[in-house]
Amino acid sequence: MKILKTLFLLFLITASGLIYAQTDKYTAVMQKGMTLLDSAKNTEDLLAVSNHFERIAGVETKQWLPTYYEAYANLRSGFLTNDNDKKDVFFDKALVQIDKSEAISANNSEIYALKGYIQFMKMSVDPQNRAMEMIGIATTSLEKAKALDPSNPRPYFILGQAAFYTPEAFGGGKEKAKPILETAITNFEKFKSADPFAPKWGKERCQMLLDQCK
Amino acid sequence: MKLLLLFISIILISAALSAQTLIKGTVKTAKGEAIHGANISVKNSYDGASSDSTGHFHFTTSETGKQIIQFSSLGFGSDSVVVQINGKSIELQLVLKEKFNELDAVVITAGTFEASDSKKGVVLSSLDVATTAGAEADVFAALQTLPGTQTSFAENGLFVRGGSAAETKTYFDGMLVKNPFNTQLPDLASRGRFSPFMFKGTTFSAGGYSAQYGQALSSALILESKDLPEKTTTGISLMTVGGGLDHTQRYKNSALSIGGNYINLKPAFAIFKQHTNWDKEPEDYGGTIQYKLKTSATGMFKVYSELSSGKVGLFTDDLNNLPKENYFSNNNRNTYVNSTYQDYLSDKWKIQGGASFSNNRDSGKIEVDQYTRTDQLMQARLTLTNYFGNLSTLRFGVETSNTKRKESFNTLSRDYTDETSATFAESDIFFTERLVARVGIRSEYSSYMDEFNIAPRTSLGYKTGKFSQVSMAYGRFYQNPEDEYLVQTPALDFERADHYILNFQRINSGQVFRVEGYYKDYKNLTKSVGNLLNNSGNGYADGVDVFWRDKKTFKGIDYWISYSYLDTKRNFRDYPISSVPPFAAKHTLNLVYKQYVPQLKSQIGATYTYATGRTYFNPNNLIYLGDKTKEYQNFSVNVSYLTHLFKQFTVIYASVNNIPGFKNIYGYHYSDNGQARKAIEPPARRNFFLGMFITIGDNTFVQ
Repeated sequence: MKILKTLFLLFLITASGLIYAQTDKYTAVMQKGMTLLDSAKNTEDLLAVSNHFERIAGVETKQWLPTYYEAYANLRSGFLTNDNDKKDVFFDKALVQIDKSEAISANNSEIYALKGYIQFMKMSVDPQNRAMEMIGIATTSLEKAKALDPSNPRPYFILGQAAFYTPEAFGGGKEKAKPILETAITNFEKFKSADPFAPKWGKERCQMLLDQCK
Repeated sequence: MKLLLLFISIILISAALSAQTLIKGTVKTAKGEAIHGANISVKNSYDGASSDSTGHFHFTTSETGKQIIQFSSLGFGSDSVVVQINGKSIELQLVLKEKFNELDAVVITAGTFEASDSKKGVVLSSLDVATTAGAEADVFAALQTLPGTQTSFAENGLFVRGGSAAETKTYFDGMLVKNPFNTQLPDLASRGRFSPFMFKGTTFSAGGYSAQYGQALSSALILESKDLPEKTTTGISLMTVGGGLDHTQRYKNSALSIGGNYINLKPAFAIFKQHTNWDKEPEDYGGTIQYKLKTSATGMFKVYSELSSGKVGLFTDDLNNLPKENYFSNNNRNTYVNSTYQDYLSDKWKIQGGASFSNNRDSGKIEVDQYTRTDQLMQARLTLTNYFGNLSTLRFGVETSNTKRKESFNTLSRDYTDETSATFAESDIFFTERLVARVGIRSEYSSYMDEFNIAPRTSLGYKTGKFSQVSMAYGRFYQNPEDEYLVQTPALDFERADHYILNFQRINSGQVFRVEGYYKDYKNLTKSVGNLLNNSGNGYADGVDVFWRDKKTFKGIDYWISYSYLDTKRNFRDYPISSVPPFAAKHTLNLVYKQYVPQLKSQIGATYTYATGRTYFNPNNLIYLGDKTKEYQNFSVNVSYLTHLFKQFTVIYASVNNIPGFKNIYGYHYSDNGQARKAIEPPARRNFFLGMFITIGDNTFVQ
């Protein structure tokens, strides 16, 4: 009896240890991903980041963050590429990944914010032909992101950035961008998330754009 | 016992902490080229790595036993291998097959120009159609800047590669449109009925097209309407020739659009001197209702309906009794309803169905005589598509069209009704990513003529390089004789044309080069000999079309050049011998230029067209159609100024047609005795158009 008890106890300890090790491993592997993402300088680094999160996503089918960061890494790869055809490949891949996040976590402000961002960038590859259709789609995503969580700074940042780079003739310009970016900055100051891996990006660039508006 | 416990705990703990096993190796293509950035991982674990630029990778894993190693890379497929992990390092030589990539795959381009917003590698976008100078946002006029088409200002329609206007057919979401143009006036072409902004894709085929489309000897214009609009918007247009109002209401899964327009050319004609002696300047009004419903994630149901009415009256010189003038008037009423549905039945099957109805009634006076003409078309169509293999498809369907024509002249009247039914099957077979064959067959039966045809079609596309490809096509095409002949007798047969096309195309980002050679053999064309009609007509057309478009070389500047060489003769209608028809210029050149000027907040455009002379009938010349007009030239510009009015997105558009005032002559009319003649000219040397288009609700950047 005693033996059985000991065995059972031992089993429990090891099992919980295993489970603990597993969740701890998730934290560690996500942390590693964040470090890789923060230090990524070129498309090569970002490809490694994207691959890293893809591997996590393969295991963590209930977590929306791995595919979110996979999408984010591809979005950034798109920024760093000059070839329009390649930009499209990166953005298309990012859109597929953010849709996966959306399938895991519905009505998530961060997901819609990133989705709107990718859609905007997809439009900017060929604005002459895509603006008419894609701006509406991107704006719809970003408005949804705002509605789902008005305190999220990112949808404001992305809308502000879009206004910043849109010629005045099309209703953009620095004057239009300034109040939106200011709201974003205010939100960036306040915004807190319980999840250590929740999206944090955008503040520096937002500040930089806002400085140019002054 | 303690030993046993220890043993068990060691096993368990070692399983938990575990030894690290090194897995390394390379990822290469089947040809042995290193793949950079491939993702290699142990299935259901975090362990893995990316391959470096030499294809090498290495990582350690704590997993043990039988495990699956997955590997994949962008542009390639994914694959896996099973390994036994037992602590010893493992070396893997992984091979990834190149994925069959739709974007890189060859496409059949022989004969076809595609304008689309969604697909890659297309030649024109929908917006291009709307912003081409000289076209005034008329789909058909914009297409006249593409090679293979003729400039036509006196006759409705698209004249393609030596074909008459009746040989080009327009399809709206797959359904044949019987009356795509406003009513033809004497010596004056009318605009197309559809706004280019309604469509997300425009495919213009100058020959060799798919077995899905029939009843066109020369050309198919395939218009694909837009899906659900994103937003609720209201549009207001104010033009020198009239105005319009439309409203689109977006619901969760559907959208309803209602619009109305009124056009009156009288004020504009008062300012710009007209050659034409108008009794009643063209006046049109009409309304449209559109409804679109997303029936499922992939399903879409669309209804488009249009009701329009127009009035016009004018005098033309009676060359036999000068200075007497002949009177002509026309009242037109057009009804058009088109509804289509499509969805995927599974990931392998797609269904598309549609039904359409059109009724077009023209009535008026020729001198004191009263005429009426009514055309009616009812059509139903069903297509099933099966996706198989990598990119291959098999498509088949049925279609039936009920055509009625009724005409009367004072108390005389005649009519005919025909039911033409068709069935077709077609398969796109990809042998490799570089080689595709399309094999199709179409068969039609006309109840009125009691005739039956079988039309084989085939095309081949081969990708010769990363950006270039060659395609060729052969096809047989049939169409019913024109209504004006069929209404006289059912004792006619299908007219026939055989197309042979060879095409080379190179599309690099921002640059397109195409050259296409063709030969067309016409048989069984309708001929009138005295009062008799038969199918003894024939003809041929051969030529070369060249197209070059460049958006890359000069930043912000987009231009294209198209050139067509056409050699054609035919013996049809009332021709006594085989001759070059008046609708065929030997050389046609178009230069189209577009540029966005940020300082002016404007997009400017210019189009120059040159075409050599056309033949015309001169009763004083013994050679039939032996005379030629002088060459045609036109230089048009347009400016679109983008701004905001009342915080709403607004476009102010101005265009001038034929700025230098080239005197263009389409042909001549002669008196019966050949003593008097009159040139067929546009109603005014220059045309000026000014319009303002406001969109309310699309205030994307108007905060």
